[in-house]
Amino acid sequence: MKPWALEIQQGSKQFPDGTYALQNIEWRVKEGETMALIGESGSGKTTFLRLLNRLIAPTTGAVVIQGEPACVQDPIQLRRRLGYVPQDGGLFPHWTIRQNVCLVPHLLGWSSKQQLDRVNKLLPLMNLNPAQIAERYPIELSGGQRQRVAVARALAADPTIVLLDEPFGALDPLTRHDLQDQFLSLQTQLHKTMVLVTHDMSEAFRLGDRITILKEGRIQQVGTPHEILHSPATPYVHLLVQHYHAHRG
Amino acid sequence: MHTYQFRQRIRNISRIIVVGLLGLLYSLSLPVWASDTIVVGSKNFLESRLLAEMFAQLIEARTELIVTRRLGLAGTQVCFEALKSGGIDLYPEYTGTGLVTILGEPPIHDRVSVLNRVRGEFLHRWDIWWLAPLGFENSYALALRRDRAQSLELHTISDLARVAPQMKAGFGYEFIQREDGLVGLNKSYGLQFQEVIGMQQTLKYQATDKGEVDLLDVYTTDGRLAVYDFVVLKDDRQFFPPYEAAALVRGEILKRHPELGRVISLLTNAINPTRMRELNLRIQEQEEPVPQVAQSALRALDLVDDNHVQPAANTESSDSILSYMWTKRSDLALRTGEHLGLSGLGLFLGILVAIPLGLALERWRKGAEAIIRIIGMLQTIPSIALLAFMIPIFGVGALPAIMALWMYSLFPILRNTYSGLRDAAPNVVETGRALGMTEWQILRTIRLPLAAPTIMAGIRTSAIWTVGTATLAAFIGAGGLGVPIVAGLQLADVNLILSGALPATVLALSVDGLLGRVEQWARPRGLDPVR
Repeated sequence: MKPWALEIQQGSKQFPDGTYALQNIEWRVKEGETMALIGESGSGKTTFLRLLNRLIAPTTGAVVIQGEPACVQDPIQLRRRLGYVPQDGGLFPHWTIRQNVCLVPHLLGWSSKQQLDRVNKLLPLMNLNPAQIAERYPIELSGGQRQRVAVARALAADPTIVLLDEPFGALDPLTRHDLQDQFLSLQTQLHKTMVLVTHDMSEAFRLGDRITILKEGRIQQVGTPHEILHSPATPYVHLLVQHYHAHRG
Repeated sequence: MHTYQFRQRIRNISRIIVVGLLGLLYSLSLPVWASDTIVVGSKNFLESRLLAEMFAQLIEARTELIVTRRLGLAGTQVCFEALKSGGIDLYPEYTGTGLVTILGEPPIHDRVSVLNRVRGEFLHRWDIWWLAPLGFENSYALALRRDRAQSLELHTISDLARVAPQMKAGFGYEFIQREDGLVGLNKSYGLQFQEVIGMQQTLKYQATDKGEVDLLDVYTTDGRLAVYDFVVLKDDRQFFPPYEAAALVRGEILKRHPELGRVISLLTNAINPTRMRELNLRIQEQEEPVPQVAQSALRALDLVDDNHVQPAANTESSDSILSYMWTKRSDLALRTGEHLGLSGLGLFLGILVAIPLGLALERWRKGAEAIIRIIGMLQTIPSIALLAFMIPIFGVGALPAIMALWMYSLFPILRNTYSGLRDAAPNVVETGRALGMTEWQILRTIRLPLAAPTIMAGIRTSAIWTVGTATLAAFIGAGGLGVPIVAGLQLADVNLILSGALPATVLALSVDGLLGRVEQWARPRGLDPVR
């Protein structure tokens, strides 16, 4: 049997003051699947993501990545294998777009030729013109362009798993919609395993193959958009679905 | 890559700075290391300078020894600490000061008893020798203008007690503090003045001209007493102890160079009070340079040959400040060099310590704030006090000055390094970490470049600070542009003061401008909109 791409077994994260950020998490993602992770602020979704790339370790339980427990892997090597897109892009302001995109290939010691080829391939994939922007600095780009660059950077070393932390959250609605479209077309070409953190129900429904709903550190439900909409597992999920319908008019 | 070029540039520049500063340090400290060198010190008033200069010239003329001059040290404490620690080998001192200020004993009023007392105690405690007195006393006295004294019928200090509540007294700062000065005087005569104004010695006489003060503390050998037509009030209760001038010498140096004691002894009883007043007057009012007066005094005693005579530098006081500075250009260039050397080395050492310390503290945040606060407290010590603290540890001259400047330079650099690194774009740092950068890579390629402008701003603040504070280094004999300022204050010579103050100002402004450019240059591209 093919191992899960990502797996958390009986995972909990307890803070020094005794409160739980995450409790009894039992969670699996298939290869090539887009899993949306939705919850309010404080629901533990950022902690969830940080567990996956070993920025923090679970207090109890295990994180397993492609069949191998994360805790036995070198964290630096592990993170270079996982793409990552933060909310605000997180581009290095003093590096050019080319340097930013090539961060992980550079860390992995690719030759400059390989790096350049990669930039010229990835930027067009994100609807960006390398000749125009490769040597510019992030401050010279629009917010939408910066976020595309951040996605290109996450894909640079061709990881099989990409983690996205509210990647479109800070954009205006039109740009957000554009980028969501692009995300979908990208996903049909690339078939990466994606974990997409969001607080926007419609984004989760639009982009996620499956959705994980998180509240106060516990998983409320995991399921396809159809399952969530038609058989909410808890009163909280039910409430969320009602809100979703209300807002769509 | 961009960061590589940045590193390369930094490396080249720091190499040049290190070589230059090491050269400077070497040249500054060279005379101190030479073994047959005698260091002559003096306090920061004219008579002390003149006597020290006479000692120095006499030693140069009659021995093989090399003389280094550390003239104009700030007061008795600084001079005596320097003598004890070997920073200087001899300086002119007064027996009364030795008794009251240094030993802290109550005044005695017999000349011979005072001399015997200080001789015995100094030998016993510190192996420091009082050589034979030079032949005059320079006591404190109270004086006022003859017309005022006559109209008020003042002859003695007891008479003064009667009118003191209507009088404004202009007293030297040291006099106000001293047990054998105002403190004891008040107890002995019960004086209550309307107001006591602390004043610089040389400015006091002019102040009486304008009627701003009525009464002064004066030295009995001050040449200006005659010029301004002052009357000295009789010390009818014999309060002021005798102040016989004599050379104070370290025993160790007398043993190593016995000829030194013999040569200085040639001045025993050689100068009477009238003669001393004449010599002082020539410097105070006729503006003859100290070395020239010292030489002519020694020549009159037949102690040096005539063929040493140097043409006196003719200083026209009507000169404009710029042409005055032009005539002194070689001296000023030297002083500017010293000044840059002192502040440059202090700053360089500050950078050397503060940046690594800032890096370490940023790693170890728990103790950081406390340590930064402690270093910040160094900053609040008044600069002249900090300089004085350095003397017991490092003696006098360039070394203690550099140490003090170093301490001053630490705080701004440390604070900015720490906060610059701590606050450098946390989201970017977190992203770097999430994408698999090691902490070292994050520090080197993200945090340091992003913190560079902040760190440079700290260095710039420190640089201006050290360049400014270095003018005070003259008080402990370290040279620099403070030398003409301090000497000018003592001579009340505006041109002399300005010849130090103007270059010091220009220096501070240029350092500020230059480092402003460096700050711009250290700012990574991409932080500002297109340039």
